[in-house]
Amino acid sequence: MTVEVQEIDSFYGDLQVLRKVSLRVDEGEVVALLGPNGHGKSTLLKAIAGLHPPTSGSVRYRGEDISRASNERIVQMGLAYIPEERHLFPYMTVMENLRLGAYNPRARGRIGENLGFVFALFPRLEERRDQLCSTLSGGESRMVAIGRGLMSDATFLMVDEPSIGLSPALKKAVFDSIRKINQGRGISILIVEQEIEHALRLASRIYMMKKGQILLERGAADIEKAEIEKAYF
Amino acid sequence: MPPSASSSRRAGILPGRLTIRDLINALVSGFISGALYASMALGLTIIYGVIHVFNFGHGIVAVLGAYGAWLFLTSLGLGMIPSILISCVAMFFFGLLIYKATIHPLLQKPNWEFSTIIFLLGFGIFLENMLLQAFGPRVKSIPPFFEGAIEIAFVRINWHEVSLVLIVIAFVVALHFFLKKTWIGQAMRAVAQEMDGARVVGININRTFSLAFAVAIAATGFSGILLGTKYYMTPHIGWDWMVKGFVIVVFGGLGSATGAVYGAFILGIAEAMATLYLGALWVWPVWFFIFVIILLLRPQGIAGGRTL
Repeated sequence: MTVEVQEIDSFYGDLQVLRKVSLRVDEGEVVALLGPNGHGKSTLLKAIAGLHPPTSGSVRYRGEDISRASNERIVQMGLAYIPEERHLFPYMTVMENLRLGAYNPRARGRIGENLGFVFALFPRLEERRDQLCSTLSGGESRMVAIGRGLMSDATFLMVDEPSIGLSPALKKAVFDSIRKINQGRGISILIVEQEIEHALRLASRIYMMKKGQILLERGAADIEKAEIEKAYF
Repeated sequence: MPPSASSSRRAGILPGRLTIRDLINALVSGFISGALYASMALGLTIIYGVIHVFNFGHGIVAVLGAYGAWLFLTSLGLGMIPSILISCVAMFFFGLLIYKATIHPLLQKPNWEFSTIIFLLGFGIFLENMLLQAFGPRVKSIPPFFEGAIEIAFVRINWHEVSLVLIVIAFVVALHFFLKKTWIGQAMRAVAQEMDGARVVGININRTFSLAFAVAIAATGFSGILLGTKYYMTPHIGWDWMVKGFVIVVFGGLGSATGAVYGAFILGIAEAMATLYLGALWVWPVWFFIFVIILLLRPQGIAGGRTL
């Protein structure tokens, strides 16, 4: 098992956002996390990434407890979070953003290799390597965000709604690149998405989350889009 | 021979009473002041850019650095370079200590934007009075680095002033290299531009804050030493430097190093022009006038939001 989340609670102030959430991602898997907005999916990812630690329960990575680990340690261990808002460094170039992705000491020695992979995946980024990130289009900044996550030499990627706001063609390109990341490098992936059809085709298992709780867990082959949509409401 | 500018005290003097020589002298003098102000504004910019805190104790920190070097020079009899180096290193560790002991705890609590301002202001007053107690009120200055002067065309420039400008250029280049080519410098830029993004790539925010603060304090102390070679100092002059630094970084754009450097030179020359045309009494009104104008016309400053 790569990542094992067991019964975590999470709060924002007095508001409980996660209720006894359990989830796992196995080595080399792609797992999709579905569900309506505002119901805790991003918070779950942040809990795993060390950006908003849970108040109870545990998060384990390859057997090691990371529930209270710092963001620095978690990235160092090989977990990378790619937020929906991207959070790119606006006054730095594409190249500088990607290089900063390799900030953790383990990744610094592998910049050349990982950069090669990122540019092979997203040739457009190589073209725009010296462009400031504040001037990129929506699709391009998504690519930089994913690329930056890859530069950390991650073995586990958490991707939060990577296709949101993109054209259908770009959505497909994003899902294709995530498939390549998983198949080409064996990186385990936990992806939050609203594009149910794409998610079902990409993932081997899905979870559905509502009101801060896991509602169901299924093999992607064992469930239909219609059933999921019904569970949304 | 036309009368010199110093005999013209009234506003509205006829330009014809001044010579080209006076004008060029003023420009050169303003340029040199601008260079000194630039070195001073950079420390302020780092703290604001990375931590988003305005160091109201900035001026007194500069004086502290200068007094430190003065102490090593006079009481311990060390050479100029060792005195400067030891003072800067001491200031770095002083900055680390202050950050860990006071700023860091304040940042964890609500209203940190205000509590840090009040604290640093109070800290400045405290430090000023400590320096008064330790060193007394008599003016101090640091001896120039070189003796003698050079005369080019109309102008007489001290070798020391030439060295100051070269030192500031080297300092700005070194800082630029540090911010853009070292991992910790890039981490500071990342935290300044997008703190959430910095967390995502695994940067330790707290450690970045403390190092940025310490580097900025050392840089400010260094700029104080440079200023101390040109101006007479008492602890009180720290407030003048703080206000000027404040105007410069707002003019240049809060958080922008490039803006701060440009702003420093522009304001240094403006100050020299004001002294030439209006007289020394008008220096402060001109600073505040420029401050008000920039806030009215372009409050984001020259750099307009671009940060470290």
